[in-house]
Amino acid sequence: MVALLDGTVFPDARAAFFAAGPDPLEAAGVPAVDLAVRIGTLTLRTPVMPASGCFGPELGALIPVAELGATVTKTVFGSARGGNPVHRLTEIPAGMVNSVGIPSRGPAGYLATLHPRYAALAAPTIISVGGHRTSEYAPVVAALGEHGDAYELNVSCPNLDRDGTDIGSDPAAIREVVAAVRLVTDKPIIVKVPVLVASIAACARAAEEAGADAVCVANSIPAMPLDAGTRRPILGNVIGGLSGPSIKPIVLRLVWLASRAVQIPVIACGGVGSVEDALDYFSVGASAVQVGTASFARPFAAVEVARGLRQRCLDAGVGSIRELLELEAAL
Amino acid sequence: MNPNLFSEPRQATAEYTAGRAAAARQRAFAEADAAALDGLISVRPRSAVPRPQTVWDDAEVLLHEPVGERYRRLVLASGTIAATAQAGQFLMVTVPPHGGDTILLPRPMAIHRRRPSITARPTTADRSATVATPGTIELIYGVVGRGTRALAAVPVGARLQVTGPLGRGFDFAPGTRSALLIGRGVGICGVMGAAEDAAALGIRATMVLSGQRPDQLLGRSDCAELGVRTIEVTDDDGSSDLTMLATRLRAEFDGATPETTPPDVVMVCGAGVLARLAAELGAHWGVPVQASLEAHMACGLGYCHGCAAPVQTDPSVEGPLVCADGPVFDAVLPIV
Repeated sequence: MVALLDGTVFPDARAAFFAAGPDPLEAAGVPAVDLAVRIGTLTLRTPVMPASGCFGPELGALIPVAELGATVTKTVFGSARGGNPVHRLTEIPAGMVNSVGIPSRGPAGYLATLHPRYAALAAPTIISVGGHRTSEYAPVVAALGEHGDAYELNVSCPNLDRDGTDIGSDPAAIREVVAAVRLVTDKPIIVKVPVLVASIAACARAAEEAGADAVCVANSIPAMPLDAGTRRPILGNVIGGLSGPSIKPIVLRLVWLASRAVQIPVIACGGVGSVEDALDYFSVGASAVQVGTASFARPFAAVEVARGLRQRCLDAGVGSIRELLELEAAL
Repeated sequence: MNPNLFSEPRQATAEYTAGRAAAARQRAFAEADAAALDGLISVRPRSAVPRPQTVWDDAEVLLHEPVGERYRRLVLASGTIAATAQAGQFLMVTVPPHGGDTILLPRPMAIHRRRPSITARPTTADRSATVATPGTIELIYGVVGRGTRALAAVPVGARLQVTGPLGRGFDFAPGTRSALLIGRGVGICGVMGAAEDAAALGIRATMVLSGQRPDQLLGRSDCAELGVRTIEVTDDDGSSDLTMLATRLRAEFDGATPETTPPDVVMVCGAGVLARLAAELGAHWGVPVQASLEAHMACGLGYCHGCAAPVQTDPSVEGPLVCADGPVFDAVLPIV
């Protein structure tokens, strides 16, 4: 049992967490703290959202989704595909490694089954879109039409036309993907770039020049975990993507480099689990953060980060994260 | 393989060879267990009973103690989960940091026992007073890796964050009169909820408790409390051998008297080979079999897709998940 002010007794911690949200009246009026951030034409009420693959409409009952800037879907591919063989994920001391394989029902399947559940949540839906050729992205976005409040292009997929190298590791391929998608949608386009690229600045610039509204830096890091006893691969797919707190310094560098290269917002994704992590990313140039792996152990992690940012500003007596960072930098 | 330049092989030590052989046996056992599930499992039809709302809670640790050499018992106060969890459902337990080690993923654990809260009542003419006690859930886990080692260090009085109840559990069809429950190792906890339901519903239940050694068998006292008859089998005396166990169970339930007629349902947890054995018995007796599986998970809710169930599907279609479509599945012998 969790008791809060005035002896109110909540049946469980989830109920208490919902009740502890910011006063909706304050949020509806002129808020004391303005955390809003713009991604193209889309305004997010707070610069915190889940990372693709680390959120589902199942969480709608567990956390106050209205306190997030947006939701981000699992990547939708052009055709239906299953996931990878078991085991699909494991935990190693350095973090979590997954090779789920991004199962998808294709755009029609997504719209029929998952999208209504996302649309029912009180936050904009950013639909993640993937492809195995640069030509595969635009048709998916066209098929999804007006349903996405924004589109995040997952270009961390192996390019079948280029010996399986990540599409996002090639600035020319990024340009092709974004230019094609720009022709089929007016919604904001976010390009989610991979970690292993020759020049993150070149990738971010390619996205910006082709008409993207933001870049998301970065994704999980290709990795291969072995079983300590048998020295055999743990994952059914042998290799996977490393995520969690250990990748934060790697992604901080990338966010810093990308932020210096482009004028569009940079969304940081890599090891964010606390308000400190978010502020670290903001201090190197990010405008928003995505929370991924941390949500598995703490489903409320992203909401906690959003509340924490607001509280930091209130405690410092400032009205925005920009002011908070300027205050910190001046000390 | 890249040809490398290590020194010429020498005769390995006996300990090294024995260690590798043990690892190989363990791997062979795991592979046999996975193979036993091949073609066996299918998603159960939707139950008429709705699933409870999943919540998360900061549950106080009321009891945390060793159970034999291998396991630990964890009793947590969570009124909501204790009141709503169904037999065979599970929790995701978030492991707090321990000794500088951060455990990233929560650990899925079967709900071994559910004890709803008791409200305080003053003494009346016909009954004595009761003290208010919170609803509790009991988990039993084996200390096997980093996560469970860190969990073992959590003291009584601390709070553990848990998410649940999760998954689709065991389901007694209306009119069920008798049940055979089979559990092995820590998997006994996976079916104990069914024993609780059987006791509450007046279903005559027998539970096979299988394990390596007699002093490691879980569930003895629980079954005694619930009035569930037990059949204990161990690797020590060879009685857990699958052929022997199958022969013994057929001898027990192939009779004609009410106590010896086949059970109306078989429920199993703890090993793929036992799920197959249960399916064979179910086919022999013509009764349904429900099997609970375990899997590596990250979210426990269904969105991470980490726990694909061992069900063959069209490669273009994502198959069922252990967390959201299970952990309890129908187990039916494949038609050959």
